[in-house]
Amino acid sequence: MSEQIVQTLVDAISVGGLYALTALGIGLIFGVMRLINFAHAQLIMAAGYAVLVFSTQSVVLAIAGALAAAVVLALLVERAAFRPLRSADPAMLLIASFAVSFFLEKAMIVVVGSRPKGVDFLPGLARQIEVAGVRLQMLQLVTIAVCLVLLAATTWFLRSTRLGLEMRAAAENFRMAEVLGVRADRVIATAFAISALLAGAVACLFVAQTGLVQPRMGLQLVIIAFVGTVIGGLGSLPGSALGGFLVGAVTILLQALLPPDLRLFREAFLFVAVAAVLVVRPQGLIPAPGMKERI
Amino acid sequence: MSEASAPALRVEPVADATPSPLARLFPLLCLVAVVLVISGLAELVPTVAQRRITQGLINLIAVVGLYVFAGNSGVLSFGNVAFMAIGAYVSALLTMPAAAKGVFLPDLPAWLAAAEWPVLGGALAGGGAAALVAAVAGYPLMRLSGISASIATFAILVVAYVVLGNWTSVTGGQNSLMGLPIYVGQWTAAGWAISAITVAFLHQESRSGLLLRASREDEPAAAASGVHIVRHRLAAFVIGAFLSGISGVLLGHFLGTVRVETFYLDLTFLLIAMLVIGGMRSLTGAVAGAVVIALLTELLRQAEVGVTIGGTAIAAPGGLGDAVLALLMLVMILFRPNGLAGGREIEWPRRRPSR
Amino acid sequence: MDREAGAGERGAALVDVRGLAVRYGAISAVHGVDLQVHAGEAVAIIGPNGAGKTSLLSAMAGIVRPAAGSIEIGGRPAASIPLPEMVRQGVALVPEGRNIFGSLTVMENLRLGATVRRDDGVAAEIERVVETFPVLGERRNQPAGQLSGGEQQMLAIARAMLSRPRLLMLDEPSLGLAPVIVDRVYELIRTIRAQGVAILLVEQNAERAFAVAERACIMSHGAFTLTGTPPEIRQSGAFDAAYFGVAMEAVP
Repeated sequence: MSEQIVQTLVDAISVGGLYALTALGIGLIFGVMRLINFAHAQLIMAAGYAVLVFSTQSVVLAIAGALAAAVVLALLVERAAFRPLRSADPAMLLIASFAVSFFLEKAMIVVVGSRPKGVDFLPGLARQIEVAGVRLQMLQLVTIAVCLVLLAATTWFLRSTRLGLEMRAAAENFRMAEVLGVRADRVIATAFAISALLAGAVACLFVAQTGLVQPRMGLQLVIIAFVGTVIGGLGSLPGSALGGFLVGAVTILLQALLPPDLRLFREAFLFVAVAAVLVVRPQGLIPAPGMKERI
Repeated sequence: MSEASAPALRVEPVADATPSPLARLFPLLCLVAVVLVISGLAELVPTVAQRRITQGLINLIAVVGLYVFAGNSGVLSFGNVAFMAIGAYVSALLTMPAAAKGVFLPDLPAWLAAAEWPVLGGALAGGGAAALVAAVAGYPLMRLSGISASIATFAILVVAYVVLGNWTSVTGGQNSLMGLPIYVGQWTAAGWAISAITVAFLHQESRSGLLLRASREDEPAAAASGVHIVRHRLAAFVIGAFLSGISGVLLGHFLGTVRVETFYLDLTFLLIAMLVIGGMRSLTGAVAGAVVIALLTELLRQAEVGVTIGGTAIAAPGGLGDAVLALLMLVMILFRPNGLAGGREIEWPRRRPSR
Repeated sequence: MDREAGAGERGAALVDVRGLAVRYGAISAVHGVDLQVHAGEAVAIIGPNGAGKTSLLSAMAGIVRPAAGSIEIGGRPAASIPLPEMVRQGVALVPEGRNIFGSLTVMENLRLGATVRRDDGVAAEIERVVETFPVLGERRNQPAGQLSGGEQQMLAIARAMLSRPRLLMLDEPSLGLAPVIVDRVYELIRTIRAQGVAILLVEQNAERAFAVAERACIMSHGAFTLTGTPPEIRQSGAFDAAYFGVAMEAVP
């Protein structure tokens, strides 16, 4: 019995980790630009299809291709769609983000069709290993490890490098950072690049787990991770990661704990929770510094 | 609130400063005329095209419903498609023949299973149910600022989708409900469209509508002047939800079936695209967007179907229409954010005062 | 007082403003302003709330686009210099309200001031700053938001100085601070002045500004109403009228 509990917990943590990384990617962009990047889902999609293309050749190539595809797409989208809108009001940014995401997804459907394709990626990780008497899936443990490493790396980057410092300053007060000489273009491009690397990593793990790629992949991840960002605190990086993690983990736990007829409603629960958080504590669990309404 | 004690400025009255009643109604009359012309044209074309036009009119009502809230308050709502779904399902449940309900929804409570309301009653109930949900869900949400409110309306969309899609005993869950009485042809749709446009027009000219638009331009200033933004937003939200609910009802009774999958992201995107491209800030924009995009999607659909030239079929790849629509929306946002109508209504040409 | 005399002696102006107008929609905040600041000069712009001082400074710093007129920074048109490049042109701004990054530490705020510098002297200079302001040293790794108002102002000025500007623009440095603290702030400004950095000071408090500036412009309702050296302005007796906006010509 207790083995099942441990397995559920590990499952929850590994899914939570994926959502934490996704939420962090979304939170990074929101932090510097006040933009909710719906197209993050398509970054995951692009990385996923790169894995499809290279998975037959070598694992390293597939991962590198996934990361590269996500970064290239992210920088393209930033340059073409978001940079011209940098001074537009947040409502327009939101709509534009929605439109970009929709466009990329539909364009992909035009090119590859909407049906899922199977991918045999890292099949070796599907096996189970025994840890302290409990049988766990190797992939879940790898997922947790990768998430921890990437979270640590991102944190290190933000806290210890010059560019990271500039990003944190820009996230708190963009105008003042510019007055001091921080170049907006560099900071924003960096945010998009890191966000894309996170998306690429998530895509690799996701493809390994599900064995499928389709144009709609990433949508579910981003919607739920986005919920996490809101709950954790829009614009706050630790908040995003924490919120994403909680939401992902709770999804799994709800699945395990809810009576069968209510299980299907778990997403509804989540979104009611989002609305509740927005009403009761709009700044989220870990509020971001410098977030205030435009006066 | 006391009057300011600054010395009053003298303002010379401008010739034609107060528009005549005809001038004020001009936009409404124009838009109604547009709908009548479209329905009239529908008489002349083959049935397939007629059905497309009817569906276009139904979408027009949905866009107008979206506009009533989003256009007047400046807050984009992602949730109106949820109200369409609610309207459709409620009307379906009340008007479907008992026999059909027995087949698709065997677990309905007896009173509901036996109900066979007249279609008008069902439609009003559908709109009313949507309005009720909007009132309840909207009440806490209207206090949120722009982006947070938009996010919250997205929550409404997802919650509705999940609940309606899983509440199998009442809605059939993921399966289609079939057997709805089909009573919506182009004149029914046109009649409802004209009503919707009229309601939207009356709302935006009403005191509540005008105050809401004032708050759209400058929220803190309006709040400081004592305008009850929340109240007016909620009113717009509920009215918009009612109209959206009606459009959902009409869609259901046009197709004869209701499926929850119809009322999710793709339709949300289509309606938002129509509103943004037409121009979010005016009723003319909403209608213009609906008409233009309906034409465009029809053209693109034809392109996807293809043309046979001398034995070779040339067709655009599937899904191109959606991609083009998204691209168009982006281009509009980048280069003409106020849309085709530019935020203005069709105006009765005014004599400008001579300088 | 002759603004033009001596201009040739001091070389090209660091900032040259001609016929500047700044508008927000239909509201005119600044109109018809001419101003030059040369190397090593200390100039004050004095006026009450709403006079247009901050708008003028914002336009000069590149934050706001002027509606009319021209601004040249070191001979280059300001319109061709994007905001983040201003500091690389030697113009540093300490905006109203200090605007330090409250969530970053004191050290991180200071390091941001030196963002544009690539040389090795930065760390040593930061240490010197910290020596001059022991309180900043004590709190070096604490979030800057925990500093008091006066300490934040010192931090903001020190941060701006780390970019080694040729011109330091300060917007109402005394605002909201107790007189004792303001003394220290102005001591700092005088020290900076003594190092040869040009100062452009925007103030509501004329006495404070007069103590530092060698030239002052009184601003009201968007235009300069009186200019001259502090002694000249005091002797003219026209200060009150100029400050409070009774229309009059500039003192020749």
